[in-house]
Amino acid sequence: MSRPGVAVIQFPGSNCERETARALESAGLSATIIRWNEGARLISSCHACVLPGGFSFQDRIRAGAVAAKEPVMEAVAAMADSGRPVLGICNGAQILVESGLVPGWAPGSVEAALAANDIPGRSGYLSGWAFVRVAEGASRSPWLAEAPGGAIPLPFAHAEGRFEFAQGTSLDHLISRGTPGLLYCRRDGSPALGFPANPNGSSFSLAGILNPGGNVLAMMPHPERAAMLWQVPPALGGSWGGLRRASRRLDVPGPGAALFLSLATFLGAGS
Amino acid sequence: MEGLRAALEKSIASRGLSLTPDEALKVASWVGRMPTPVELHLFDTMWSEHCSYKSSRRLLSVLPTNSPDVTLGPGEDAGAFRFAEHAGKCWDVVVAHESHNHPSQVLPVEGAATGVGGIVRDVYCMGATVTGVMDMLRFGDPLGPAGSRVRSIARGVVNGIWQYGNALGVPNQGGDTCFHPGYDDNCLVNVVAMGVVESSRLVHSRVPEAAHGEPYVLVLVGKPTDSTGFGGATFASADLDEGGLRAVQVADPFLKRVVSIANAAALDFLFESGASFGFKDLGAGGIACVSSEMAAAGGMGVELFLDEVPTAVEGLPPEVIACSETQERYGLAVPERLAARILAIYNEDYEMPKLHPGAGAALIGRFVDDPVYRVWCRGTEAACAPVEAITRGIHHERPWREAPITAPGMPSREFSPAQDISRMALSLSGCSRKPLFSYYDCEVQGIALFRPGEADASVSLPVPGCMAGLAVSGAGNPWIGELDPFLGGASAVAEAVRNVVAVGATPLAATDCLNYGSPEVPEVMWQFRRGLEGISEACKAFGFTGGPLPIVSGNVSFYNQTPAGRAIPPSPVVAVFGRISDASKAVDISLKEPGNLLVLFGPRRGELGGSLYAREFCGGSGGPPPGFRPAEEREMAGEILEWISAGRARACHDISEGGMALAALEMILADSDAGGCGIELSCSCDAIALCAENAGYLVEVRPGDLPPQMPGFASVIGTVTGDGSLSGPGWRLEVSLLRPAWADRLASVVWREE
Repeated sequence: MSRPGVAVIQFPGSNCERETARALESAGLSATIIRWNEGARLISSCHACVLPGGFSFQDRIRAGAVAAKEPVMEAVAAMADSGRPVLGICNGAQILVESGLVPGWAPGSVEAALAANDIPGRSGYLSGWAFVRVAEGASRSPWLAEAPGGAIPLPFAHAEGRFEFAQGTSLDHLISRGTPGLLYCRRDGSPALGFPANPNGSSFSLAGILNPGGNVLAMMPHPERAAMLWQVPPALGGSWGGLRRASRRLDVPGPGAALFLSLATFLGAGS
Repeated sequence: MEGLRAALEKSIASRGLSLTPDEALKVASWVGRMPTPVELHLFDTMWSEHCSYKSSRRLLSVLPTNSPDVTLGPGEDAGAFRFAEHAGKCWDVVVAHESHNHPSQVLPVEGAATGVGGIVRDVYCMGATVTGVMDMLRFGDPLGPAGSRVRSIARGVVNGIWQYGNALGVPNQGGDTCFHPGYDDNCLVNVVAMGVVESSRLVHSRVPEAAHGEPYVLVLVGKPTDSTGFGGATFASADLDEGGLRAVQVADPFLKRVVSIANAAALDFLFESGASFGFKDLGAGGIACVSSEMAAAGGMGVELFLDEVPTAVEGLPPEVIACSETQERYGLAVPERLAARILAIYNEDYEMPKLHPGAGAALIGRFVDDPVYRVWCRGTEAACAPVEAITRGIHHERPWREAPITAPGMPSREFSPAQDISRMALSLSGCSRKPLFSYYDCEVQGIALFRPGEADASVSLPVPGCMAGLAVSGAGNPWIGELDPFLGGASAVAEAVRNVVAVGATPLAATDCLNYGSPEVPEVMWQFRRGLEGISEACKAFGFTGGPLPIVSGNVSFYNQTPAGRAIPPSPVVAVFGRISDASKAVDISLKEPGNLLVLFGPRRGELGGSLYAREFCGGSGGPPPGFRPAEEREMAGEILEWISAGRARACHDISEGGMALAALEMILADSDAGGCGIELSCSCDAIALCAENAGYLVEVRPGDLPPQMPGFASVIGTVTGDGSLSGPGWRLEVSLLRPAWADRLASVVWREE
């Protein structure tokens, strides 16, 4: 049986497509990098798709705004509507937000934004490692079903990663629609309570948000850069840091692999 | 003749050229008439110090450039060495090293950004995938009389580096940063790029042999040509003044990303076609240089049609179209029969003209057997010269005069370990570089094993699926260079080698960037010669694979001084690249477990000249700087590599600025999140023992892993504790109290205005 195919969409300015494809392949899936203008036909034959990180269209207007209006996104929206899994990482998350696929409360309208980082005493880009945990109810998502319960360390690297909603949007409102996907937390899994555990000032410590169906996930941290254990910094705290120091092997899955392995199971390619 | 000379002098003055009248006369004699503007600007660029190495070329021959690992030494855009075999394929690492000092001083963001942009092109055009960049930065004193400008330059440079590199998607591998008042008026921004290529797909920067048999054309790829960077190479080859703003190029990392992806597709197509081809980036001298150099290197001539060059604005004079240094461009020499498909890859598949008006690929010239360089513009001949004359080069014999410095001896002073170590840790040399690295994307491509700051060298796994790690580190200590220019060169190599060795990687190749004042000053020329001798000596000592450590690429940067004539300290900067065949064995600097032993390699010596201790506490007086002892260095490095390969070293850190004290402290501080480990020193703790910066390493070892017979240069000097502090007989430093200030110091000084 051939391995289920996942499309990784390459926009002009995408720059994480190769490692994203590699992470999918490591999970037993078949990944194909597809150019944005190669047509919807190629994408619609895939079982899932990933919008990788980068700076699509130079972040013109707003990060993700131009890519969201490209014809290829109609095919992505069709995929999402049919319940197939769609993941946006970093700039890919910005594109999903700008296209209205997440939070997707009223399909087609833009109901969230990824705003400039709000960090005390500093502006611009910030990179580092953060801990996230799966929000309650979010394991319904094909991307998160097999993610472990505790704190998951993932690297982040962005200048605009703060999830924002219309003024007055309450956490209850989000929860009732199944929006929270991943939450920034401290290394013991307890709530982030602001910087640095929440590295960008994101509303409600949101690191990733889902559509109501749970099949579309937009997240700012980069699971593909933590797909293997060796990618974890050797001095990182928490249980994953301990595993990293105890094993130097280069073939052990890392904390970010959970997303791709969840997808593989969902698509019936799990080992 | 007199009339011609007068006309040339007038032309030189009105065009702001740096050609001398004698050099211009030489041009006139080669073309047999008054040179055209295109010819004058072309030779002005080709004979600039930046391009011609006219003051340095002959001296550079003292550097070793070959070893069994080298596949391409200096001479093309980048150098290359054998790196790994994986899945039946051989892989080379391609490296290049350059300075962008003058542009960064006048326009820091653009200068540093185009520094990254330029150096990655040098690696891309060898057919490689770029897997890393790093910058070695030298700024003035941010707290001194020029502090406000220095801080603004430092912030701008960091912004330029991240804005370019992060968008391009090339992981930053760190580099180093020094603050020294000698750079108040002339910062240094040295940049290194590295990449990997299948050995059989290394592309050369010349029109291939096959062009003698079938028609070959020159395809220009990338951004439309404008007037930016016109005169850039000349600007980089003169004393720095603020008049050079127009010579700084404008960077576009977005377009570069698209061009790079399209280039990869074009190269795939060309390799599949079986045709041979040439590929070269456009840097100094723009279209004029790329076309003449590709032709000359292939023993051919070229006919260039400037009207075919896509331009961003109408009506640019031919010399600007030919010589401007517009960024994000490449030249491809391909068979004419394949040109249409090549153009389609850029213009249709990747829609470049839609993404950026005027961008894309265009056929702008053809290679000819007649070795003449001929440029056409609006129906007239804008240049016609023998190709060989253009690339033949020029040489100046520069006089030199010794100017040794007698280092003042160290005054006696009471050393109080805890207090003095804290102060060194909070100095601009000792504090954490994380505030700077946190702007950089070090993890894009998913290949980072050790990020900047985690280990002595950054380590990546650049070949997908292959276990071989590429370690890289850059070094150059201006405080040693100013006391002894020979040791400045030798210690730059030695320090970078130690950093690579300390992660467990075998040094395979090096690059250098030689930053000095004016070569027209005999004392500076002496510093330059001594620096080269130092690098050369050290490279000969550090061969690990049969032969010396080869310098495979590099750059000379002269005229780093103010109009008033004050030169920077002699600043040779060296980057060393190493391989650890099984990267799972690589070690970082963070302490692992209480109960382990701390072993010192390299007995401490009373050579505190140029040391952080002497600078912080003795007004800079520390006697002579640490000597270079090739045999001992080589032996220690070999032993460290063996210990790491045998799994004996749990952590390893080389001893550099701040001596053993800061090395030990950094091993504790690196254990940032995991927490808890400390060090208790059992050795004597005087200033020499703790602060001397002569060559050495600290290694964490499990008690049972100590070899039965320790080498003579190694001794156990302490234990790893679980109390998170640094202590010795009668003193204790609570590292947790120091940590916040240490982590924040650089941000609080450099980014204080934000």
